[in-house]
Amino acid sequence: MFKIVYNGCNMKRNTFYLLAGIVALAEVGIFWLSVEIERPILIQIAFVLGVLLIYGARRMVEDRVEDERTAMITQKAALRTLEVFWVVFFMLSLGSAVAAFSRPLGLRPPPPPDPNTTHTLIMRITEPDVLPFDLFGRFAVGQLVLLCLMIFLYVGFRVYYARKYGEWDTDEEQD
Amino acid sequence: MKNRIKVYRAMHDLTQEGLANELGVTRQTVLAIEKGKYDPSLDLAFKIARFFGVTIEDIFLYGDTAEQK
Repeated sequence: MFKIVYNGCNMKRNTFYLLAGIVALAEVGIFWLSVEIERPILIQIAFVLGVLLIYGARRMVEDRVEDERTAMITQKAALRTLEVFWVVFFMLSLGSAVAAFSRPLGLRPPPPPDPNTTHTLIMRITEPDVLPFDLFGRFAVGQLVLLCLMIFLYVGFRVYYARKYGEWDTDEEQD
Repeated sequence: MKNRIKVYRAMHDLTQEGLANELGVTRQTVLAIEKGKYDPSLDLAFKIARFFGVTIEDIFLYGDTAEQK
C-alpha cells in the first residue's frame, strides 16, 4: 500500500498540458524537417527526448496523487492493451516479413554496365533514388495507425477500469 | 466483500478525505472501498483496522460472515 504525492516541484497541471502541446508541435515540425533533409535519425532522437521531457515534467506536476487503486487501474489497462496488441503487431510483422522475403533480398550485385551503350549509364545516374512505397511505406504507416489505435484502446481500458473501481462515484460528502 | 468503514468513520467523526489522509490514499479509494467496488490490499486493510483500533474482521465481512451479521 502506498501513496505518492508529487508536490516537491512546482508545475501546475495546465502548465504541463501546455508543455505537452508545445512538445507535440515541435515533434511535428522536426518530423517535417527530418523528411526534408532525409535524416530519419533526427525525428527518432527528437521523439525519445520529447517523451523523456514529458515523463520528467509529469513527475513535477503538483498534487498528483497515486495510490494502490490507481496503480492497479493503470496496470490492468496496460495488461489488457498488451494482450490485444502483441497479437496485432506480431501479425503485421509476420505479414511484412513474408512479403519482404518472398522477393529477392537485394543482395545480388547489380549487373555490370554495358560498355557499348552509354545510354544505360546515363539513365542510371539520372534515375531518381526512390524507395518503393508499396511495402516499406505501407508497413510504416500501418504501424503508426496501430500505435494510435493502441493508445485509444489503452485510454478506453483505463476509463473502463476507472469506472469499475469507483473513480467517478459520488456520495453525500461531495454535495 | 462488505465492510463497516462508514460506521467506524462516523463513530470517529471523520470525513472520507480525513480518513484518506490518515491512511495515505486518495479520497476516491476510501469511497470505492466503502461502496464495495474495490477490495483493499492486506496492507491497507490492516492499516484501516489499526487506525480504528479494531481487528480486520470487525471491519471487513467476508462471504457467509456478512450474511450472518
